[in-house]
Amino acid sequence: MTSSGGIAIEGVSKQFGGSQGVTALDGIDLNISGGEFVAIVGPSGCGKSTLLRIVGGLLEPTSGHVYVGGKTSGQARRDVEFGFVFQQPTLFPWLRVLGNVLLPDRVLGRRNPNNGPNSKDIAQELLRDVGLEGFEDHYPGQISGGMQQRVALARALSYGPNTLLMDEPFGALDEFTRDRLNLQLLEVCNKTGSTVLFVTHSIQEAIFLADRVVMLSPRPGRITRVAEVPFPKPRTLEIRYEPGFAALAGELRGLLVGDDDIELAMNQP
Amino acid sequence: MSSIRKRSRVVDVLLRVLPSVVIFALCLVAWELWVNIRDVPAYLYPSPSDIGKELRDEGLSLAVDDLRWTMTEAVLGFLLGSAVALFTGIVFVHAKFLERVFFPWAIVLQTVPIVAVAPLLTIWFGFTLTPKVLIAALICFFPVLVNATKGLRSISSQAVELMSILSASKWSLFWRVRIPSSLPYVFAGLKVASTLSVIGAIVAEFTGADRGIGFVIIQASYRLDTRLMFAGIALSSAAGVVFFNIIGALERLALRWPDARLDR
Ligand SMILES: Nc1ncnc2c1ncn2[C@@H]1O[C@H](COP(=O)(O)OP(=O)(O)O)[C@@H](O)[C@H]1O
Ligand SMILES: [Mg+2]
Repeated sequence: MTSSGGIAIEGVSKQFGGSQGVTALDGIDLNISGGEFVAIVGPSGCGKSTLLRIVGGLLEPTSGHVYVGGKTSGQARRDVEFGFVFQQPTLFPWLRVLGNVLLPDRVLGRRNPNNGPNSKDIAQELLRDVGLEGFEDHYPGQISGGMQQRVALARALSYGPNTLLMDEPFGALDEFTRDRLNLQLLEVCNKTGSTVLFVTHSIQEAIFLADRVVMLSPRPGRITRVAEVPFPKPRTLEIRYEPGFAALAGELRGLLVGDDDIELAMNQP
Repeated sequence: MSSIRKRSRVVDVLLRVLPSVVIFALCLVAWELWVNIRDVPAYLYPSPSDIGKELRDEGLSLAVDDLRWTMTEAVLGFLLGSAVALFTGIVFVHAKFLERVFFPWAIVLQTVPIVAVAPLLTIWFGFTLTPKVLIAALICFFPVLVNATKGLRSISSQAVELMSILSASKWSLFWRVRIPSSLPYVFAGLKVASTLSVIGAIVAEFTGADRGIGFVIIQASYRLDTRLMFAGIALSSAAGVVFFNIIGALERLALRWPDARLDR
């Protein structure tokens, strides 16, 4: 897989509900290079999902621009350059697991670079990658939430998108499942070389996964810090016990402890 | 292996319908006893066994001559009313404005007493199939419309965003997402409509027909032939139950995924 183009976020602001409305994002500037894994961390309501939707071309910013591989985000979306994993799995209950992973192929047809006689094999291989071999013929209603989220991940990867946008994809999962999925995600990204923008409210998860961690403050959403993560890839779960990991986590957590965000910071694992 | 599984499925079904059959049988027995003990006039209150005899003697000709006719009207009306309702629902979902304009009229259509409309249609169309089919369609329209509209709207905003990320056309969103997610609601509406359609056909026959179960019942009532009236009632409700179950079977075929059916 070719290394993908980067993302340039230039002065992006977003207001909801007219002039006296909520300012969800305020002057966001961020450059992400191709193949980079960036995590966005912030308390709920600080505009993380909004930023991801703007980057994915699902939402227009009030001001500012986003370019993805040199194109506007809307153009990049129309050219199907994004894979999006939502907070909820968003599987279609009437399609079996394999059918859900093949949905992009069915929708895209010839526009899918993986389209062809072996698109089914590719889907099956992806399901193997996310540890779901043997569940191809189950319906979403017959598998657990963690498995559903893995199907959603396989679906997002099935058409080889240059850029992966993930909105708290593992937020609702238990710690063990989350660890396993984090490892699988790193492995898959290593293989595909995709650029990843990953939203989470867990500092631990962000540091473990990302090359850089972007901290966002609420009301209005502003970048308070961009931290380089000093651990080389590939990573193992053990890096979480290294002193450098705890130090960085502590430092970033300090940023979150504003007036009403103490509760959130305390709740971090 | 498969025969065991099949037998246990048959047993399952029997066990499921057994309670309602037993209750029904008990009611018949109580009715029979009441008619015999109180010695009420048989021409007013025929006993179940009398009705049974009537069905044995007249049932076949009733079924062939009249019930077949009534069910033709009901099924045609059901198909027409449901098709128009589905189409209207699709239009409503794509044009909110049209829904605001026309939905109040759909409610008016629903609240119009069909016993008052039926004679009108009979005046216009005569003793033909048309007024019966139209009345059956009219009575089917609303439940299917309400359910279809709700079903077509039941998609999540994230599902829409997913299709948008795939740069999917409106057409693709409609066929791959809206239609399948509406099916559970549509079938719930169709099941209600299937029972109503028989009522619609019979009511329409009351106001002017030369055959059909409604015609038989109204003629029998002029002659105080309560046995024949009951036989007609029994036959038409049996046909309604069969129609309802046919739609239910189609629903089971169409909605294969877990928890798809709304009324389970
Ligand atoms: N469609 C919308 N209309 C109005 N306000 C919205 C909308 N989407 C988000 N917001 C507001 O924008 C802010 C940021 O929301 P969001 O991006 O969902 O935050 P996060 O994902 O970080 O929890 C919140 O205050 C939210 O209420
Ligand atoms: Mg969010």
